[in-house]
Amino acid sequence: MLALQDTLQDTAIAVLDAAPTAASEPFETAMLAADKLPVVLGVVLIVWIGLLLFLTVTERRLRRVEARLDAAEAAPPPRAQH
Amino acid sequence: MTDPLTLPRYGRAYRVATVVVAVWVTVVLVLALTGDIANLPILEQTARNLYFHVPMWFVLYAFALAGAWHSARFLATGRTLHDLRAESAWLVSTVAGGIALVTGILWSRFTWYEEANVWWNGDPRQTMVAVQLLIGGAYFILRGSVDEPRRRARLSAAYALFATSTMPFLTYVLPRRMQSLHPGAEGNPAFSEMDIAPQMRWVFYASAVGFLLLGWWLYTLRVRVRVTEARAERLAEASAPAPTATLS
Repeated sequence: MLALQDTLQDTAIAVLDAAPTAASEPFETAMLAADKLPVVLGVVLIVWIGLLLFLTVTERRLRRVEARLDAAEAAPPPRAQH
Repeated sequence: MTDPLTLPRYGRAYRVATVVVAVWVTVVLVLALTGDIANLPILEQTARNLYFHVPMWFVLYAFALAGAWHSARFLATGRTLHDLRAESAWLVSTVAGGIALVTGILWSRFTWYEEANVWWNGDPRQTMVAVQLLIGGAYFILRGSVDEPRRRARLSAAYALFATSTMPFLTYVLPRRMQSLHPGAEGNPAFSEMDIAPQMRWVFYASAVGFLLLGWWLYTLRVRVRVTEARAERLAEASAPAPTATLS
């Protein structure tokens, strides 16, 4: 049990030692970790956000035209006025 | 007489195509993130961004050209459908351009400018593309500022042709006349043997095709929404008491 505790403690210290000293730039450190793989994640997320943006503006137009068609159907037919 | 707002039928072939696009892009995503890459210094794993950043340029160009084509067709024929297609293509092109610019900024920050600690250093291609996006973005501002539909369609079609005509100069000719960190200042970037590692070439091509197809899907969705709007408008005008000009 004590041995396990020691191992855990050693691991914690090792992790802390490995942590970069320039803590003022946590974003920088995060992006440069794992051979800069997080940069790829960032790029994929930007693509995804762009797609969401497109879907959102298109969906807004669709919702508006749906509401208009609903209103047109609810209105009395044009021939009934004559 | 055929209905001027008739679209091609989005039936079985279209549904099959959208499934193909979905599967294609999914496979590309898996290959792009797990495949073998040339792990070079400075670039390291960010070489994978080639599969996401560069295809966005292809989408930008392809749909700008589609937009210019439909703008020219609108000016020639006056058919509303061409105006709606042009607007939809421009939106796809602009969104792809925005994605390309922002992904480029992030990528360069942690490669070219890793030591310099800057997000922007006036790279000619980046700068010119930002200018081009402003020119392209003004298309939507122009559309938003004209209320009369025929006038809006005509003005924006003429403007779209102007905005497309600046594109080859700003994004192709000028950046090659200046010092740039972008690859391919000579020759065709990403196509020459020097610019792309052999094991990445086919994933890159597949990714370019995948994002172009995805762009086409988004474009057709947008066109369908715009045409439905025009039909609803026509319906409202038909049921209005006073006769008004019909859409052509």
